[in-house]
Amino acid sequence: MNKMLKTLAGRSFAASRMRNLIAALAIALTALLFASVTTMTVGAMQSMNLTMQMQKGSRSDGDFRNMNREQFEQLQAVDWIREAGLRMPVSFLENAKRHNVEFDVLDEVQAELTFCMPQYGSVPEAADEVVASDQAIRALGAEPEIGAQIVIAFTVHGKAYELPMKVSGYYETSNSQLSVMWTGTAFRDAYPDIFRYTYDRDGEMAGTYYSDIMVKSADGLKERMEELSRTLGGNPDDMKAANYLPAVVNRMTNPAPDAGVIVITVLFAALFMFCGYLLIYNVFDIAVMQEIRRYGLYRTIGMGGRHVRKLLNCQVLWLSALGIPIGLLFGYVTGRTALPYIMEIFADEYHTLLVSVTPSPLIFAAAALLTVLTVWVSTRKPVKKAVEIPPIEAFRYVEKSTGRRSARKSAFGASLARLAWSNLGRNKRRSAFILISLALCMILLNCAGIIADSVDVEKQASWMIRTDFAVVNLVSTNNMEGFKRREEALKKETIADIAAQPGVREGTAIYKNTMDDTDVTYSFSHVEALLAEPHDESGIGSNMIETPEADSLSILWDENGIVFGLGEDKRPICNVYGMEEAALTRMDLREGECDAHTLYQKMENGEGVLVGVPLNRNDMTYYEVFDLTEIGETISVYKDGQLIKELPVLAKAGINGDDEEIGFTCAGPLRVGHDGLFLYLPAGVYQEIYDDPVIYKYSFNMEEDKRADMETWLADYMENVDVSIDYLSAQSARESAFAMRRMIRFVGGLIGVIFGFAGVLNLVNMVITTILTRRHEFATMQSIGMTQRQLTKMMVLESLYYAAGACILGMTGAVILAFTLVRGIVQTQWFLSFRFTLLPAAAVMPVLFVTAFIVPVAALRTFYHDSIVEQLRIAG
Amino acid sequence: MNCILKASGLKKYYGKNDTVVKALDGVDLEIEEGKFTAIIGTSGSGKSTLLNMFGGLDTPTSGSIKIGETELGGLGKEEAAAFRRRQIGFVFQNYNLIPVLTVWENIVFPISLDNRKPDKDFIMKIVTMLGLEHRLDSLPGNLSGGQQQRVAIARALASKPAILLADEPTGNLDSKSSNDVIGLLKMTGSEFHQTIVMITHNPEIAQMADRIVQIEDGKIKSVSTP
Repeated sequence: MNKMLKTLAGRSFAASRMRNLIAALAIALTALLFASVTTMTVGAMQSMNLTMQMQKGSRSDGDFRNMNREQFEQLQAVDWIREAGLRMPVSFLENAKRHNVEFDVLDEVQAELTFCMPQYGSVPEAADEVVASDQAIRALGAEPEIGAQIVIAFTVHGKAYELPMKVSGYYETSNSQLSVMWTGTAFRDAYPDIFRYTYDRDGEMAGTYYSDIMVKSADGLKERMEELSRTLGGNPDDMKAANYLPAVVNRMTNPAPDAGVIVITVLFAALFMFCGYLLIYNVFDIAVMQEIRRYGLYRTIGMGGRHVRKLLNCQVLWLSALGIPIGLLFGYVTGRTALPYIMEIFADEYHTLLVSVTPSPLIFAAAALLTVLTVWVSTRKPVKKAVEIPPIEAFRYVEKSTGRRSARKSAFGASLARLAWSNLGRNKRRSAFILISLALCMILLNCAGIIADSVDVEKQASWMIRTDFAVVNLVSTNNMEGFKRREEALKKETIADIAAQPGVREGTAIYKNTMDDTDVTYSFSHVEALLAEPHDESGIGSNMIETPEADSLSILWDENGIVFGLGEDKRPICNVYGMEEAALTRMDLREGECDAHTLYQKMENGEGVLVGVPLNRNDMTYYEVFDLTEIGETISVYKDGQLIKELPVLAKAGINGDDEEIGFTCAGPLRVGHDGLFLYLPAGVYQEIYDDPVIYKYSFNMEEDKRADMETWLADYMENVDVSIDYLSAQSARESAFAMRRMIRFVGGLIGVIFGFAGVLNLVNMVITTILTRRHEFATMQSIGMTQRQLTKMMVLESLYYAAGACILGMTGAVILAFTLVRGIVQTQWFLSFRFTLLPAAAVMPVLFVTAFIVPVAALRTFYHDSIVEQLRIAG
Repeated sequence: MNCILKASGLKKYYGKNDTVVKALDGVDLEIEEGKFTAIIGTSGSGKSTLLNMFGGLDTPTSGSIKIGETELGGLGKEEAAAFRRRQIGFVFQNYNLIPVLTVWENIVFPISLDNRKPDKDFIMKIVTMLGLEHRLDSLPGNLSGGQQQRVAIARALASKPAILLADEPTGNLDSKSSNDVIGLLKMTGSEFHQTIVMITHNPEIAQMADRIVQIEDGKIKSVSTP
């Protein structure tokens, strides 16, 4: 830029302190908004990622398994892999009590990627050193401390080992069933026998190489990894192949972007951009208007429009450089503070929730970019005005006195109220912006208030749990696992211990079939039609997949995509529950025999079965696609391919999360019977059908005064006696609903307050400008007899009119939005029931009026205190 | 006679029909190179409008203005601005100095906008003649009215314009300062062979020009030499 222009820009900038302060504040506020929303979004994503990675036990991009030494060495040399860890599984320890301990050889990269680095002590160096979780060390009968001596026992290649080891370091785990004990490569070198590679012959894991990898770019990762598996001579698809070399992308690290999160972020960004626009536009419009004569002067002495544009852009740039960093910093702090409130709503769904946000450059870059964009958009019009005004006009430029009205009715005399009222119309656009930003504050606060009030705590709690407490295996509350194996059953002793507690009422154990119960299958008209479609000689049809992976069943699906898990005879195994009468009584019987007692007795007599149909949480009606049977229709029960029972459908019930598995999750049923049917039988009948019936849940109510005691007792029991269990209580379900309400209030409140602040800043700027530009007018009025008191009164009235206008606009807007947009949003979310309130908007009103009163009084004191003659002179 | 500025059939109308105001109503005028011309008229006679037209600050309703070889009507906005800073020097009643720039910076500002190097010797000659050599580092706010107007004259002369337009240059000054300023204007004009067009409502000041053009109701009433 031209040196003289730069000098001029610099000096003009330095000369307008008040304008700079307000403009920088406006920009900072906008940056704050963006930085806080990006921090919250990125933070929520990071926290969720980390939580899910912890649950999965790895934060890598993916992993390769079952490799031999050469394959692993080739893998390390691949250029697109940034980091490759080394993991050589040995075996599960046989002498660990109440906790599964996997014993591996790891290197530090792998340990880091799989959350196994010691928090205390150091990584293992010698062949007899190990690092393990505190829980694993306790499970081996030692206290977690550096130097602790333990003995580990395991069998590999058919040989039993019992080795004394020393703890070189350990880390803390949350309550979980499985953790890793690891040693370094010195152990591998000391025991070459253990690490003989025989996987291709006998499937022995010891001797194979696993590797968690980090890549340079995650684009097309799955394809690249599978391709690499093949290049290494492996087969990534067929688990039965001798050279099976799985290449698995870590979906926790590389999740598909969540559309909901993106939509919300874009919405907020747009809203904040609008808020920033209202503010920055006004600030610059006022600044340009104040200096328009100066631009005229520049133009008369030969400055082109281009020069004026450069001059202004330069100042905008400096103001941005000043405001943006401050805004980013405060925005980041705000976002960080708000993050735990937001994450709290996931606390119930994710067992060990980690809240974390690192000041990633992405947060600041995105926020800065959005701010720059807003500043640029907002300043274009004022800059254009300065550039395009003809020099002669600029000299004569006086803001329109009273809008476009050419004539008006005059009242008798000129009251201050009328005078103040007339002044409002001087700049319609600017007045409108102030009104809108103040009104938006009220509207947003009220919308957030309505949504928060609409959080239906009882609906949410009753969906999650029908009793006061439900105890399950840990896998059930982990939405990536779910109850699906017999070994995950609740222990009889645990149930007995709970039942023995004082105050336990209506305790019922619920049986559930698993993936191990493939011998019992069911048939009904809907699947008979599906199974009638052409099949090959092994019984496989085009609507059927046979066991694609080790840990899943063959499946069958219908035209609606409803999937059935199949048993040995290729009929559905369904999700089958066995329960006592008390549990049945709590269910939501809707069709057929709706008297629970009669139904239970009929079912006990073998007269039929209760079918559960999943409900749509929004309106609590059946999901039609899951409603596959009719009352009276017969369901045939097969065992080992032989028909053993024919059960007519006696009744149908609408089922919720608690009926399927527990709370929000139904990961288990989705892997066992998949989408259907859900069959409920009396415990006796269930035991008759299944050979090895297992209990997955123990539900019970508590006497009211004993509920807190039970929470304490269960927490202690989970930690010290049976670490495999977890529980949900009606209270914790309510807590999570309350957390959601708090989050909405907090975030909504925060945004409302920021908009309010923007509105007030606008008002302050307007009032100060009015005083500065109308000095002459004020002085004239005072010279013809207006007192300082009257002048103040006039300004206060003007400011109060804005407040009143904002209140009318805000209240109207709040009511209209409440019954349109907000009610629409509320109706799409099952856990919300619309409850109207105007309290938040009403609460803003007094604040607005007090502010509107204080601002002009303070501004007049600060900026208008010279004598009348002085003011006339300055203005002249 | 060498004509530097030629206005033909210049009209400037404001408003429409019944309310039409004819600020200029068919002005034909030629300004001779190197001469000091005063345009005199009462308030509202159209003299300021005429001067603004000459400077390209305002556009006529009809008619044309030619300065040197340049037809002003044919210039775009940016071209007009560039033409102004290279070919026209302005002196205003209220000085129009940039308050945040020093005297020296104010003087060289239009030249710097063009990324040209100021002719230091030439400008120092002007500055010395105007008695500003000890004030170069001052800000306009610290100068008297007469001094500020001298800075404005120096700024107008610095870029060696084809024509210097002065709009009531003494309007804000007392009589002593007024005489000083006009004297200096005349002196620098003849020293640098500078064409000057000045508007004034003061017949006494007009007497110091080489030629007096009287304007009334948007029309030229008389042209005389004092």
